This record gives sequence, structure tokens and C-alpha cells, in this order.
Amino acid sequence: MSFTLYVGPQHPSLKEPEHFKFEVEGEEVVKADIRLGYVHRGIERAMQDRSYPQNVYLAEHICGICNIVHSATYCQTIERLAGIDPPDRARYIRTIILELERIHSHLLWLGVAAHEMGFDTLFMLSWRDREKIMDIREMISGSRIHSAMNTIGGVRRDLRQAHSLKITEVLDEIEKAAERYLEIFASDRAIIARCEGVGILSKKSAVDLCAVGPTARASGVKVDIRKEDPYAAYEETPFEIVVENGGDVLARTLIRIREIFESIEIIRRALDMLPKGPIRERFVPQVAKAEAVCRSEAPRGELLYFAMSNGTERPERVRIRTPTYANVLSWQEMFKGCTIAEIPVVMWSIDPCFGCEDRVTIVDLDKGKTYSLSRQEMRKWSASTS
Amino acid sequence: MNIEGVGNLLRDFLDEFNVTGVRRTSALIKKENLRSALLALKRSNVDHLSAITGVDLGDEILIIYHIDCGGGELLNLKVKLPKGNLKLPTITDIFPGAILYERDLMEMLGVEVEGHPDPRHLFLPDDWPPDVYPMRKEFLEEKK
Repeated sequence: MSFTLYVGPQHPSLKEPEHFKFEVEGEEVVKADIRLGYVHRGIERAMQDRSYPQNVYLAEHICGICNIVHSATYCQTIERLAGIDPPDRARYIRTIILELERIHSHLLWLGVAAHEMGFDTLFMLSWRDREKIMDIREMISGSRIHSAMNTIGGVRRDLRQAHSLKITEVLDEIEKAAERYLEIFASDRAIIARCEGVGILSKKSAVDLCAVGPTARASGVKVDIRKEDPYAAYEETPFEIVVENGGDVLARTLIRIREIFESIEIIRRALDMLPKGPIRERFVPQVAKAEAVCRSEAPRGELLYFAMSNGTERPERVRIRTPTYANVLSWQEMFKGCTIAEIPVVMWSIDPCFGCEDRVTIVDLDKGKTYSLSRQEMRKWSASTS
Repeated sequence: MNIEGVGNLLRDFLDEFNVTGVRRTSALIKKENLRSALLALKRSNVDHLSAITGVDLGDEILIIYHIDCGGGELLNLKVKLPKGNLKLPTITDIFPGAILYERDLMEMLGVEVEGHPDPRHLFLPDDWPPDVYPMRKEFLEEKK
């Protein structure tokens, strides 16, 4: 006889709200159902009501952890729509900040994964190293998280010589630390016991369910948008696509650590080759009727933006398909056959981002009635609550 | 598969086929031919559906299937549905990865996906009123 176990939307082990319904037989999970939408902010609809430059900041606020890849992909989509090419230097700077973001995101994830396994020392070590990347981000942009570096037509801040020296120095330290993490994760008995053979996603399921990013690569699917559909300066900064064949939590962990090394190489090469010149191209905010699709490899996988213009200064439609949204089905598959104790570690193994996943429509719903606040009302409201 | 291969494979099904940019192709197809075309693609080892986008164009709804044909080639396969008849066959048996995207289409734009295995709400609350579709143009008009 099966029993239903409810987890969330509010639960001590969840960092963001989401509802999970697990059917369990004894200790074993036989079916998982995931209910999305608890942090749905209506960003796609909101973008239709704002101008192209305003939407850069909206895109950036879809996700805190991977904000640069969101703003970069949005900007690249609008650049294609308007037919402008960012200058070479801007493409290289984008590549550098995008890879710095990947390193910080993977280290952050590594810490959370270690914490879910009950290995809190490793969690603190990994977050200590992540802090070095955050310092670099602050040095470049003045902000740890929301850097507002990207703009339509290029980037807003230049990289100075002193920045390059500091980045190189920190990358050496991160490389040493990542080597140590790789050694720990590949050999520690407790970690292997928690991760090996747990939360398996077969290669066939990964392909059928259209999994993306490290989740797909850990199941032996060799996909990476940076290689296949290159953007920024990835065509000029060669790297290897990291693939593991285990399909389990251990494979998904090792993939992310090994990707840190590739990111370090990409940044080193981009710093070496950094061209001189302007950092942004002029963008005229009225865009003639057109359509554009742009994809990028976010730390969690393929991110897709589609934009349609209508001749005005506001887009007709912007569609955003985030990596976690694409991985939800694979996630349901992974839970099958797990024990209850393994749920948290499997849950975090895809590096979920609920804020990314839920975001399409606006308007609060109160007993079937819709209402919204004007900008003035919103200001008043935020002043009264702060 | 390269994009010429895709063009030849789908020649009998498509109404329009245009290469729109580097690794980007746009194609228009009738609803009746959609499943046959996708089956032909799937048989040729095109496995990755990146997303499905729905756009309200006023009188009709445009559905775009973003399909990765390998090598970074992205095919944007478009179907136009008049607002009087928003029925669309499901493609979840061909691309199981489409389950959530089709649920998204149903609740946000009111497209009736026929044969969908799990037609529940995806992002919207369970008590969301029927016939209110947030990504439709008229949604904002009602709000005003």
C-alpha cells in the first residue's frame, strides 16, 4: 500500500517555496509530483509593458544566482532583433563575467549539496572560496550579486589592468581549491555512500525528457550551448565539454567541479586575448518588426529567450525558458526508486532554481478577482512596509 | 542533421521555410501536418525540443516550437491558430519533454491541447477562474 508524503511549499529543508508530493511504499519513493508557481512574478507579461532598456534590469532580477546570464541573453536577443553587433571587447568582458558567475554558482551549489549530505565543514569551505569570486565581482561592478554589467549593445563597465591581475591571482587559488574538492568528492566514503547510484537518470530518459545542462551531461549527453550555438567570445576560447556517464548524484557533482576548471581556462584565455576598443554600441530603442531567439549555457543549462518586436519601444512578446523549467520532468524521474532519506540530496542534485522556473504572469488573485497597483501606489506601499 | 537535410525531410509538410540567420531557421506549418513533421524529425534523431512559445497576435495565436536539430541549428516551427478554433494536437508522445510547455500554453493562452496526459494548471493557482488567460491581449484590457 502506498502512502503520500507532502513536502513544501513551506518546509525547513527547502530554500525556496515549491510543493512536492511523493508516493512512498515503505521507505521507497514510487512516484513524485511537483507543483510549480509559488514564486510566480509575471515577468514575461511585465516585459511587454516596459521599454527594451528597462527590461534589462527585469531580466537580471529573474534569478539572483545567475543574473548575469539572464541579462546577457536578454541583451543578445535584443541585439539580434535590432541587428546590432556588440564590440569585440564587450563580447570578451561578457565571457569573463559569465564564467565567473558559473564558478560562483557551482561553488555555491557544491556547498548546498555538502550541507544536504550532512557534511557542513565542506559547505563552509566551499562558500569561503566562493566569497573570493564575489569579491572580484564587487571589484569589477561595485556589487556582489546584481552587477548590472550588461546593456543592449555591450557592457556598462570596462575591465582594467588591475582587475585582470587580481582575477588571475584568485583563479589560481580557486583552481587549487577545486582540485581538493574533486579529490574529496571522488574518494570520501561518506560522500560516495550518499551519492553513488542515487537519483539515477538514464541517458535515454535525459534525451526523451529534453534535459539540459549539467543534468543532461551527467547522464552522458554531450550538449553545451557554448560549443554548439556559440555566443559572446566562446568561439575564440576553446574548452572541453565535460561529460560523465553515471547519471547519479555523484556524476552531477563531479561534472560541476570539473566544469570549474574549464571555466578557469576560458577566463584565463579571454584575459590574455582581451581586445582593445569601445565597450558598447549605440542602441536606438525603437525596434522594427522582427523576431529573434537566443540561447546560452547558464550554470544550470540551456537558457532560451525569444523576443518579438512591433516597431515601438516595447517588445510585443518576450518568452523565457529557464534551465530548471526544462529539468523538472527529469527531476520527477530521478526521485523514483529513492528512499525518503535521499530526497533532499536528489532534490538539490539538479541545482534547482525555483525563482527562475516560476515567472510568467502578473496580477495577484484575490477570491477570483484580479487587481494591480499603480507605480505611485506601489511606492506608497513599499514606503509603508519598509 | 544539417538544415538543408531538415528542409528536404519536411518539404511535403511545410508552407514556408526560411533561413533567418546563423543557425536559425523559421518554418510555417499547418496544424494537420504538425504531428507528421515532428514524427519525421524524431525518426531522424532530432530529440531536443528547447521550448514552446505562444504569442497572441490579436485574431490568432501563434505557436512556435523551438527544435534543436543538432549542431546548434534551431528550427522555429510555427503554427497559427485562429481564436475561433484553438484546438491543437498534443506532441507529448513524440517529445515527452513537451508536457510542461503544453500545460503552460493551455493555462496562459487558452490553447486546447487535445490528448494531453496531464492537463492541470502549471503555474497558476488551482482556483484560477476558467476562461481567464493571462498572456492574452484582452487580459490587460479587462484589467483597465
